[in-house]
Amino acid sequence: MRSALVIAAKDLRQRARDRSVYVFAIAAPLGLAAIFGFVFNPISDADFTATFAVANVDQGPLAAPLVDGVLGGLADGGNVNLVHATSAEEAARLVEGDGERADQDVDAAIIIPAGFSARVQTGRPTELRVVQNANASLASTLALAIVQEYARQLDYVQGAVTTVVSSDPARLADAAAIAQRAGATPRPVSVRDVSATIKQLDNTTFYAAGLAAFFLFFTVQFGVNSLLEERHAGTLNRLLAAPLPRWSIILGKAITAFGLGLVSMLILIVGTSFILGADWGNPAGVALLVVAATASAIGVMAMVSALARTSEQGEVFSSIAAVGLGIIGGTFFPINQAGGVLASLRYVTPHAWFLQGLGDLAGGSIGDIVPAVAALLAFTAVTSGIALALLRRRLNP
Amino acid sequence: MKALAIAASNLRRFARERSNVFFVLILPMLLILVLGSVFGRGFEPRVGLVAPGTGDPTSALVEGLEAHEGFAVHRHDDRDTVVRAVERGELEAGLILPPEFDDAIPAGDAVEIDFIARPGQDSLSLRRTIGALLAEQMALPRIAAFVAREGDVPYEQALAQATAVTGQTAGVKVATAVAGEAFIGRRNWGQFDLGAQQQLMLFMFLTSLAGSAALVQTRRLGIARRMFATPTTVRTILLGEGLGRFGVALVQGVYIVLGTMVIFGVRWGDPLSAILIVLAFGLVGSGAAMLMGALFSNDQQAVPVGVFLGLGTAALGGCMMPLYVMELFAPTVWTVAHLMPHAWALDAFEILALRDGGLGDVLPFLGILLGYAAAFYLLAIWRLRAVLTR
Repeated sequence: MRSALVIAAKDLRQRARDRSVYVFAIAAPLGLAAIFGFVFNPISDADFTATFAVANVDQGPLAAPLVDGVLGGLADGGNVNLVHATSAEEAARLVEGDGERADQDVDAAIIIPAGFSARVQTGRPTELRVVQNANASLASTLALAIVQEYARQLDYVQGAVTTVVSSDPARLADAAAIAQRAGATPRPVSVRDVSATIKQLDNTTFYAAGLAAFFLFFTVQFGVNSLLEERHAGTLNRLLAAPLPRWSIILGKAITAFGLGLVSMLILIVGTSFILGADWGNPAGVALLVVAATASAIGVMAMVSALARTSEQGEVFSSIAAVGLGIIGGTFFPINQAGGVLASLRYVTPHAWFLQGLGDLAGGSIGDIVPAVAALLAFTAVTSGIALALLRRRLNP
Repeated sequence: MKALAIAASNLRRFARERSNVFFVLILPMLLILVLGSVFGRGFEPRVGLVAPGTGDPTSALVEGLEAHEGFAVHRHDDRDTVVRAVERGELEAGLILPPEFDDAIPAGDAVEIDFIARPGQDSLSLRRTIGALLAEQMALPRIAAFVAREGDVPYEQALAQATAVTGQTAGVKVATAVAGEAFIGRRNWGQFDLGAQQQLMLFMFLTSLAGSAALVQTRRLGIARRMFATPTTVRTILLGEGLGRFGVALVQGVYIVLGTMVIFGVRWGDPLSAILIVLAFGLVGSGAAMLMGALFSNDQQAVPVGVFLGLGTAALGGCMMPLYVMELFAPTVWTVAHLMPHAWALDAFEILALRDGGLGDVLPFLGILLGYAAAFYLLAIWRLRAVLTR
């Protein structure tokens, strides 16, 4: 055991002198997390607001529930801004803006034409108009949905009155009262809003965690690949000739990789938390996930390295594996949004489990990370097993 | 000519580097494929649906939801799966129909559907869209329920009356129109076009920078010194090295342009203009690589720093978050993006590929790119004259 620690200490001292470790392990992930945050946050943090231009030309009793009731209610709630236009043309112009690109500020125009209320009350065909801004699909869809729902509400009342009166024409005199009662009748299907917790990392933390996971595999590679480097340099034979148990050499390398990985992750977690405001979550949970992830990274990179025959080949395989797994694992963009094959494929990588564990931790408690930790440890066990089997042959020439 | 020989040997070293098969050839196409699949089709909200009933009301509602073009419906068997998917962001919302749905509607009873979404306003639009859909679907049952109560008639009879009558009423129509031209344009913006453009810039720059290690090696291994010892001027050596870097950038660029044309059917616009932009951006990338090769003395460091700078400048320059999104939501970011050469090249390709522009339209952008290239090269040459043999 002591010899393993000596080997590890020597390796770590060697690494500390090599500045490329600092770039890969600390500077690159931290720098990129800051850059990604700068670029992506303003866009994903942008709160959804909609601005509608409303032209209530009708000003009648059936326009008020839409304008003051529904739209006014949304405006009071802060979700929607209303701009009042005096005519349909003005409203449409506000959406169209000036020149070739629609003005960003108005997402849709809602136009209630003149005579609307009167026509509805006398059962004549009429229409409500919605002008949508081509670039504001979410907001203009909202406008359309609101107007459609209102139109269907009016249709319902009209249909209810008409049906009642058609079977009993005497009740036509009662039409207004019937309409009122119809309007007051609850819907057969009502929607209950249920709020779900957010089991997802916020954007800053997502980039920080994703990049940390991505570069972790490069960091541990330094420790893992050193076995091949020693072979290349000739020092491996000397280690083998020394009165050391074989396993202490492997253990020494593993300790190096583990130490490098843990220290770099710690620095990244602290760095991104303080400098970028990332919120990694419950420290105990994060610690468990980081340890498991580092172990899985060592296992994976050891296996990849063991498949190579020269140190150079090992580096090539390792960097391809690290980049490939990182991308498939969704460290650069949330690949779970892709759906389908790509979203399922990511579970083949430890990265995806690490990120999912952090996400579940964010919305829940430490118990929620058990599946992720278990998966990461399984990766470790399987890949380390293969790596050891391959290495045993190398170390027993 | 000697400079060409130097350049050729650089390209041979580049070709012999095994890892380049993955990083230069496979990775760009892989990324373009993934990006196009994930982001290329525009964002369609996903709604999870749990509908245990098998009767007519359920079928009608499910059919209506699935036919709606504003969102995609994913059927699931249980509520917990849907809730977890919404929590993780794999679904934008969830709709849970109660088991008694099919019995309640014909009886005229009220029933509740759960709409599950994360807190925040993003789901508001989806929520109201589903509300509007429900209002349309449930119009007849609602009338029937009311008429049944009013006239004290059985529900089935009321429903028959309502069906007969509402076919004759005019109803309130909702007329829609769309104003303005979408940024993405009404023309065919291919699914992979934007991703291809972005990855072209990213990889041309990244491969150049990562390859700058070769120049550092040339210096450190004494190759430069040996070249200098021959009757060769510094100018020739620098030209050769510059051409070598340019060659590497061009190989990457031409490969991506042709490859995406063949594999994904990506359109690059007017051929002459496109070639000129690729050449100009190749000069920018190779200039940056020359500068890096001049500034670094350790080729082990040059690679990770090159990767970091390559990814960082690409992210800032609009190769990850599209420029048009920046322009819409974050003008400051858009301005910063245009400090990077990538943004200017991407703007040029938007004009070529999307707006069918021609050479005249992209000349200003070519000028700006050549300006960047000149600055990089001049700085690199100035520095290299001093350190070429160190």
